[in-house]
Amino acid sequence: MSSITVNRPPAPTDPSPRRRTVTGLWRRLARADKVGVAFVLPSMVAVIGLLIYPVLSSVYYSLTDQNLLRRDHEIVWLDNFRTLITNADFWSAFGTSIRWTAGSIAGQLLLGLLLALCLDKVRRFSGLYRVLLIVPWAFPPIIIGFGWQWILDDVYGFLPNLLTALGITTENVSPLADPATVFWAVLGINIWFGAPLFMVNILAALKTIPKEQFEAALMDGANAWQQFSFITLRHIRNVIGLLVILRIIWVFNNFELLFLLTGGGPGNLTTTLPIFAYRTGWGLHQLGMASAITVLLLVFLLLMARIAFAALNYWEREDS
Amino acid sequence: MRSLIPGRVAASTARHLFLIAVAVAFVFPLVWIVISSFTPSAELTSDPLGVLPDSATLEHYRTVITELGFLTNLRNSVLISLASTAITIVLATLAAHGVVRFFPRVGRRLTRILIATYMFPPILLAVPYATIMIKLNLVNTYTSLILAYLSFTLPYAIWMLVGFYQTVPLEIEESAAVDGAGKLRIFARISTPIVAPGIAATAVYTFINCFNEFLYALLFISSTEKMPVAVALYSITGAEVLDWGAMMAASALVVVPSVLFFMSIQKYIAGGLTEGAGK
Repeated sequence: MSSITVNRPPAPTDPSPRRRTVTGLWRRLARADKVGVAFVLPSMVAVIGLLIYPVLSSVYYSLTDQNLLRRDHEIVWLDNFRTLITNADFWSAFGTSIRWTAGSIAGQLLLGLLLALCLDKVRRFSGLYRVLLIVPWAFPPIIIGFGWQWILDDVYGFLPNLLTALGITTENVSPLADPATVFWAVLGINIWFGAPLFMVNILAALKTIPKEQFEAALMDGANAWQQFSFITLRHIRNVIGLLVILRIIWVFNNFELLFLLTGGGPGNLTTTLPIFAYRTGWGLHQLGMASAITVLLLVFLLLMARIAFAALNYWEREDS
Repeated sequence: MRSLIPGRVAASTARHLFLIAVAVAFVFPLVWIVISSFTPSAELTSDPLGVLPDSATLEHYRTVITELGFLTNLRNSVLISLASTAITIVLATLAAHGVVRFFPRVGRRLTRILIATYMFPPILLAVPYATIMIKLNLVNTYTSLILAYLSFTLPYAIWMLVGFYQTVPLEIEESAAVDGAGKLRIFARISTPIVAPGIAATAVYTFINCFNEFLYALLFISSTEKMPVAVALYSITGAEVLDWGAMMAASALVVVPSVLFFMSIQKYIAGGLTEGAGK
């Protein structure tokens, strides 16, 4: 999936989102303007064919012993799932995925928030800072991999040599190959990559806070921390909530970053679920088992999203 | 006058120092890639901390273009990305206009629908895609990637474009309808020209994402002549001796245009999720 996100201009929001059933949707489509249907139909067909059908198909494959090199398969029902829940490598990948996602998002949010708060206040050079600070966002995953491997290379890399030259380390470190440091190194790289997205979106939200509220708070004798927690945070928490959900999904599902930085290694120290699924499906040719892994991945995400949206809805009700 | 207060000066200085430090760290990889790409191999290995090479060289760029066949891969990437972008924009402009004018309630819930499509892991879609590509004999074709890329470009493009089409005043379309313009004509001649800048931004963004895609290209393309840039670069890391200079030259050729394109649509990156979050 895409590594960058671009936002669109403001749109009115539905104050009372209501649940709608699939049959209800079809009935509405049948009643709707035929020309209107013609406009949206090609995209609907594409989305159903490229997203809905493959997901259902994956669920089906997860119940089979489909092999990458064979055309036919047999239905094995829940055997794949039974094998997985007793597989230590699966649980290790699951744990790594959670640590990698939680650490990355926490770091990206914290740094992005700090940068946005600073950028919101400075007047001089703010345009220049902004342009420089979004550069990591534009990096294709393959170049993130190449660039950081080169900078962190234990023989010719800039950073290990710099640390040694400064006397911080006695010999060149190898951050991406050393089991003790690899997780922190990839975490740092993902924070570098993802913080700009948080920064830009939080900054946009900060700009929408009416300035009078701060003046009123100042009159009432509120200190800086009170202003931040009662005014600033309250205004931007919905944006932060939505960003966190979107980026958790993205990082959790992301395959390329770690694959291109470490290949999931050393050993399986940075093997997340997508990399584990890739190795199972394309390394071991067990497509059925790989599907089972990805289906569990999706189920986990759906559960998390459910909880996250409950929190967002609660905030929305509280605000209105 | 306010900046004369010592506390404010200190706070402002601290903010600038923090922003400068982070900006330097953020831009460093880009700068280092570009510098390394012009540094002779001998200097890359003898002086890892040397900032500016004694004599800049184009040898790495020559290696990349003549020996590694980078231009073929670049052409593949451009063709695949252009085709995906064209299909995406045609389908998404129709859908966005349709949603805004005929299904406004769906439009208001679109952010959440987008997030739902976001949730499907690419690696999950990859399994059925792979089996379908094998069955339809599409392995090693541009078509396989063009189709797969629509899975992430289309939902996002529709979401962005709905935002732009919502800014078209209904009255303009209504007065055109009174003058006897048909619905397709209103779409093509009235609404779409108004949102042309938004469509351009969406197209650039779609193009960048297709150009940068890695997973599907890794899975569906194995022949070097058909490989897009990202996978072709990945495949040279399997070589016995890593030629860092050439890798950095290739990296610079990919990342510098990406950064420039990205900055060109910077204006549209601002704003944003603010309204989608229900505020």
